[in-house]
Amino acid sequence: MMMAGTANTAWIIETQGIGRRFGRQKVLANIDLHIAEGEIFGLLGPDGAGKTTLMQILAAILDPTEGTCRVLGFDTVKQTASITSRIGYMSQGFTLYDRLTVDENLIFAARVRGIDGSVFQQRRQRLLAMAGLTQFGGRRAGDLSGGMRKKLSLCTNLIHEPPLLLLDELSLGVDPVSRRELWQMLHEFRESGASIVVTTPYMDEADYCDRLALLDHGRILALDSPDALRQLGEGTVFELTTNRAEDVLEVLTDRPELSGLQWLGSVLHILLRPTTTLSADVMQTLQHLGELQPVPSSLEDVFVQLTAPQTAVQVPAFVPASPSPDATAELDVVQLEGVTCRFGNFTAVDNVTLAVSAGEVFGFLGPNGAGKTTLIRAMCALLKPASGKLRVAGVDVAAEPMRLRSRIGYMSQRFSLYTELTIAENLSFFAGVYGVEGHARAKVITWASDMIGLGGMEDRKVQEISGALRQRLALACSILHKPAVLFLDEPTSGIDPRSRQRFWQLIQSLAGTGMTIFVTTHYLEEATYCHRLGLMYEGRLIAAGSIANLRSTLSMEESASMEDIFMAYIDREKASEQVMEAVR
Amino acid sequence: MRLASLLTKEIIQFSRDRVILILILWLYTIEVVICAYALSFDVKHLPLAAVDQDRSVASRALLESFRINEAFDIEGYPSTMAEAGDWLDKGKASLIIVIPEKFDHDLRRGAVPVVQLLLDGSNSNTAAIARGYAAQILDRFQQEWLPDAVAPAVQVEAVLRVWYNPDQTYTSFMVLSMIALAALMVGVIHPAASIVREKEVGTIEQLMVTPIRIGELFLAKTAPTLGMGLLSVFPSLLIVWWFGVPLRGSLLLFLLLTALFLLSAIGIGVLVAAVSKTLQQALLLSFFGLFPLMFLSGTLVPVESMPEFLQTLSLVSPLRYYMDVILGIFLKGAGIAELWPQALALLVIGSLLFGIAIGVFRRQLA
Amino acid sequence: MNWHRLTAVTAKETREIIRDPITVGVSVLLPLVMLFLFGYAISLDVDNVALGVLDQDKSPASRALTDGFVQSGYFRLIRDFKTVEDVEDSLQRGQVKLALVIPPRFHAALVRNENPTVQVLVDGTYSATALVAANYAQTIVTGFRQPARPSAIQLEARVWYNAPMRSINFVVPGLYAVILMAFPPLLTALALVREKESGSIQQIFASPLTPAEFIVGKLIPYGLIAFAQMIMVISIGFFWFQVPFQGNLGFLLATAFVFVFCTVGIGLLVSTITRSQLTAMLLSLIITLMPSFLFSGFLFPIFTMPYVLQLYTAIFPARYFVELSRGIVLKGGGLEELWFNLAVLLLYTLAVFWLAAWRFRKKVA
Repeated sequence: MMMAGTANTAWIIETQGIGRRFGRQKVLANIDLHIAEGEIFGLLGPDGAGKTTLMQILAAILDPTEGTCRVLGFDTVKQTASITSRIGYMSQGFTLYDRLTVDENLIFAARVRGIDGSVFQQRRQRLLAMAGLTQFGGRRAGDLSGGMRKKLSLCTNLIHEPPLLLLDELSLGVDPVSRRELWQMLHEFRESGASIVVTTPYMDEADYCDRLALLDHGRILALDSPDALRQLGEGTVFELTTNRAEDVLEVLTDRPELSGLQWLGSVLHILLRPTTTLSADVMQTLQHLGELQPVPSSLEDVFVQLTAPQTAVQVPAFVPASPSPDATAELDVVQLEGVTCRFGNFTAVDNVTLAVSAGEVFGFLGPNGAGKTTLIRAMCALLKPASGKLRVAGVDVAAEPMRLRSRIGYMSQRFSLYTELTIAENLSFFAGVYGVEGHARAKVITWASDMIGLGGMEDRKVQEISGALRQRLALACSILHKPAVLFLDEPTSGIDPRSRQRFWQLIQSLAGTGMTIFVTTHYLEEATYCHRLGLMYEGRLIAAGSIANLRSTLSMEESASMEDIFMAYIDREKASEQVMEAVR
Repeated sequence: MRLASLLTKEIIQFSRDRVILILILWLYTIEVVICAYALSFDVKHLPLAAVDQDRSVASRALLESFRINEAFDIEGYPSTMAEAGDWLDKGKASLIIVIPEKFDHDLRRGAVPVVQLLLDGSNSNTAAIARGYAAQILDRFQQEWLPDAVAPAVQVEAVLRVWYNPDQTYTSFMVLSMIALAALMVGVIHPAASIVREKEVGTIEQLMVTPIRIGELFLAKTAPTLGMGLLSVFPSLLIVWWFGVPLRGSLLLFLLLTALFLLSAIGIGVLVAAVSKTLQQALLLSFFGLFPLMFLSGTLVPVESMPEFLQTLSLVSPLRYYMDVILGIFLKGAGIAELWPQALALLVIGSLLFGIAIGVFRRQLA
Repeated sequence: MNWHRLTAVTAKETREIIRDPITVGVSVLLPLVMLFLFGYAISLDVDNVALGVLDQDKSPASRALTDGFVQSGYFRLIRDFKTVEDVEDSLQRGQVKLALVIPPRFHAALVRNENPTVQVLVDGTYSATALVAANYAQTIVTGFRQPARPSAIQLEARVWYNAPMRSINFVVPGLYAVILMAFPPLLTALALVREKESGSIQQIFASPLTPAEFIVGKLIPYGLIAFAQMIMVISIGFFWFQVPFQGNLGFLLATAFVFVFCTVGIGLLVSTITRSQLTAMLLSLIITLMPSFLFSGFLFPIFTMPYVLQLYTAIFPARYFVELSRGIVLKGGGLEELWFNLAVLLLYTLAVFWLAAWRFRKKVA
C-alpha cells in the first residue's frame, strides 16, 4: 500500500558516502546503502557502532556532514518535510507518553498524521488485535510491561501505514516471547508492500531480515543476506571436545591464524581468521588431544572475525570450570527453599526452591517481569521475602544480612560505577568499603587491573571509557574481596560480541576458583556458557538444569535452539495453567 | 576504614560536580555582592519635581537645599500644577514640592507661607521616609534663613542616636541577610543533591550490598556539608569586610552557632532527598519549599513587622534564630549571654530535624 | 498551520498536565501561598514598635511624654528600664527597638522654661524601619506639650495614590508580576525539555508536525494556566486584601495577556538552549524568578540602585509589568501614561518568540 506521490525510483533508500561528525569524533564514515522496496533490512552492531546515528540520518532528523541520502526519492537535507510526513520512525527507548492511555497514544499518533474517523477505527482495531493489546485500551502506557510498550510503540508507527518503517533497537530489553510477537507484526506489515529497516544488537534476530549490514565503529564491515554472511566464515570454525585443556592451549598459543577462542563447558570453540585454515599438522595434533569437528559458522563468529585486531589472539589461559567437588565445607553454597516475594498483591517470586554448588555458573532466563531480578535481590538481602528460607555463602540471609554482605559480590544492570571518578578511584573505593586495606589492597587492585586488561588507563574517568571496559571494571569492583558468591544482573547488555566473549572468559575463570556465579541475561546464546540454567516465568522457576537436561526432559532434539527450548517450557507452563483453570 | 573510603569518594565527587559547585559559588558570592549593591530601602536619588511659583532668592535657596541632599534628585521644574501632577501620574517624579507665590515676601514679613509636598504613596515606606527627610530639610532651612525670626519657646529636644548602624544604610543588613540565606540554601542543597544523585544513578543499591552501615553512609553524606559550611564562613568574611560591615563579636561563637544552624539545614536537606526521585525534583522542592521559610524568618523584613500569627509561626524557623545570631554578633557585638535563647532554640530544632532525618534515611534504605 | 494537528498536540499536553497532580498542585497552591505570605508578611509599615523607657525623673511630665508615645499608635511600651545597663542590654538582645531616656529633673527643667533634652536610641540594624520609627519619635518629642514651635514655614504634606499608606497596596500589584514570572517559564521549559530528554521529541521530528504547530500547541495549555493564575491573584488581591482598584480592569487584563505570552515565550527560549531538565530548571529560576523578585522594583526600589544595576534591571520584562500593574491599579493610569512600558513588553515578547523559532529545528543535532 504505497502512499501516492513518491518520486519514481528503484530504491527506497539510497545513500552515497554518508559520514557524520560530532565535534572531532567521526561517528559514521563511507556508508553506501541501497535498500529496495519491500525489503526487511537489518543493521547489526554493538553499542557505539553508529546505528542510531545512521537511522536518524535516514529518518531525515539529522543531517549528514558528508555524502547524500535519498529516502523515498527525496533528499533528506533539502526535502526533509516530504520524508518526515511519510515515514514511520521508532527511536530507541520507550517513546510513548506514559501518562496517556494506550488509546490516547494511538489517537495522538493518528491525528498528527491526519488519520481520522472510520479509517482510524478500523486500523486501530486491527493493530491492537495484532499486538494483543485490545483489552488494554484504557490502560496508561506507563503501566504496561516492557514488551507491551514496544508493541504499542510499533502500533503508533503503523497507524498511518507508512511505506517505510525505521525501527531503532526494536527489541532491546524485551523478552523472547514478546520479541517473537513483534516480528510477527512486522512480517504481516511487510506483506502489504512496505519496507523495513531495523537495528538490533541481538544476532539471533538477524535471520528475520532479508539482508544485513554489519556495522562497527561507524563503518560497514559486510553487507549481504544472513546466509551469505555466514558463508564468509565457512570452514573457519571448529569445535574441540577435550579434557586435556592445557596441552591444547599450548599448541594453539600464538598461532597467527586464530581470531578467537572460547570455552563452552568442556568444548573449545576455535575461530580462525577469514580465509585461513589450520595447517595439517596442527589439525593432527589436535585430533590426538580430543575430538575435533568443523562446525557451521554463526553470525556472531563472523562478526568476531571481522572485528579481530591484527595482533595474535590472547589464549584464554585457565582451566575451564567444572564444579569442584569439595571446595568448601558445604556442598551447596546456595540453598533456597520456598522463597516467595510479594509487592502488595503482586507475587513477584513464587515458591522457588533451588540448590547451587560452589564453582557453578548458574544462568537465570525469563521474560521481563518474571522475577529474576527480584529473586537475586532477595538473595543479596536487598529485600525481604514474604516467606521461605535462604542460605547463601553459608549464611542465613534473614538472620545475618551484615555478615552476608562481606561474602557476596553484586553487579547490577546499570553497572553501578561512579562515573566522575577515575578507574583507580573506583577500585580504591570498593576495596576500602570491603575492608581490604594497605598492602593487600594494592595487591588485589593490581590483580584486578590485570585481569580485566586495564592497560594504563587507571587515571581515566569512568565516563570517558567504553561500555565494554566499564562492564569489566564493574565486575572487578564486585570481586575485590574474593566473595564466595557473585550475582550479575544483565551484565552484558548492549556490549559487542567480542567483548562479551571476553567477559564470559573472565566469568569462567572466576568460577574455576570456586566462586559461585549467578547471571541473568537476555542473550540466549549466552546460555551455553552456563553450567545450569533456571527458567523463570511469572515468578515461578519452571525448569532448572543443564541445557542437555532441559532438552531431554521435554524429549527435544539436539538441534533445538535455546529459544525453542525456552518457548517449549513456556508453552508447557501455559498448558498446565489452562488445565488448572478448567479444573477449577 | 569504610567511612574513610566513603568520605574520600564524597569529596572527590563534589569537587567534580560542576553544576552544584557553580551554584554554591554563585549563591555565596555573586548573589551576595549584587544584592548588597543593588537592594536597599534607603531613600536616595528620589526623583523630585519642583513647582516654583515664586522664583525668588528664597525659593531658589530652598530648592538648592533639596538639590544638594542625597535623598533627592531634582528631575525638573514643571511650570504648572497640572503638569506636575502629570509627572506624578507617569512616574516621572515621586515627589512634588510646590513653593507658593510671594514665598520670599511672606517669609520676611513673618507671614507663614505654606509649602506643599505631594508624595507618591505607592511605596509607602519610601514615602514615609521621604516625608521625614523633607521635613528635616525644611526645618534646617528655617534655622539658617531666619535664625532669629521666631522667639524660641520652650522646646524639648530629642537627641537621636542610631545604634549599630551609624551610616544608617541598608547595606549591612543586606549583606548579613544574604550570607545567612546562602548558608541555608547550601546546607540544604548539598546533602540533598549528593543523596539524590546516588539514587538516580543507582549506585545506592550497590552500596547497600556492601558491608557499609547505614549510619556510616549518613555521616558520609552530611559531614562534608558541615565542613564546607563552616569553611565558607571565611570567604564570607572577605565580603563582609569589603562592604564595611563590622564584626563586633566573637568569630568563634559565630562558627559554633553556624554549626548548630547547619544541623537544621542538613536535616531539611536529607528529608528533601528522601521524597525526591530526581535531582531536579530535589532542587525544585528546595527552592520553593525554602522560599516561605526564608521570608518568614526576617531576612527581608523584620519579624516584628509581620502579623501576630506569622510571628508565632516563625518561632519554628531555625533561620529566624540564625538571623538574630548573625546580626547580633556582627553588628551588636552580642555574646553568649545575650544569644543563649537563640543558641538553645537552634540546638533543639537542629537536633529534632537531624534526628528525624536519620530515622527517615534509615527507614528508606532498610 | 494545520489546525487539526495543532489541537492534537494541545489535547495531548492537556491530558498529561491533568494527570500530573504535582504540577497541578503547584500551579494552584504555590501562587496562593506566595500571595498570602507576601501579602501579609512583607510590610514595611511601622507600627507596634517595641519601646522601652528609662524614666529617670518619674514626674507627671515624664509620664505624659511616655504616654504621648504610647498614644501615637506607633509604639508599644514593653519595658520600664531601671538602669542604663538595662537599656543597653535590652537593645542588644533585640528586646526593644527604640529606647527613650528621660533625664532626671525633666519636669523641673520644663517648668523653668529651659530646654530639656531626652535621648532617643534606635536599633539601626534594619534601617528601613528604624529611620521611620526614629522620625516618628522625634516628631512626638518635638510636639510634646508645647504647641509646635510656630514655624516660619508650614509644611503641608499630602499623599497621592495609596493615601492610607498600606504597604500591602504596594506589594500586591507587584506580586502579579512575580507570580507570573515564577511558574509559567519553568513549567513551559520543563515540558519541552522533558520531551527532549525522554526522546519522544524525535518522534515529533519524524512526523508531519511543523515547529509552529508543535510549539503553539504545547504552549496553549500553559498560557491558559498562567492566565487563570493571574485572574485568581487579581481577584484575591481585590476582594481579600482590599487593594483599591483605580484603573481599568480590562486594560490590566490586556497587559497581563501580553505578559503571559512573554513569560511563556521565555520558557520556550530556555528549552531551546538546554538539554536536561535540571539545567532548564536552574536557568529558568536564575533568569526569571530571582530577577523578578529582586530587580523588578517589586520590593526594592530601583531608583536607589547604582546606575549600572539600574540598566541591568531594564533587561527584565518583569520590571515593565510591575510599573504597568502599579500604574493601573494604584494610579488609575491608562494607555497615555503607560504606553512605553506596554510597547517594550510587546517588543520583548516578539523578540523572544522570534529567537525561539530561529533556534528550534526539527533536527536532532
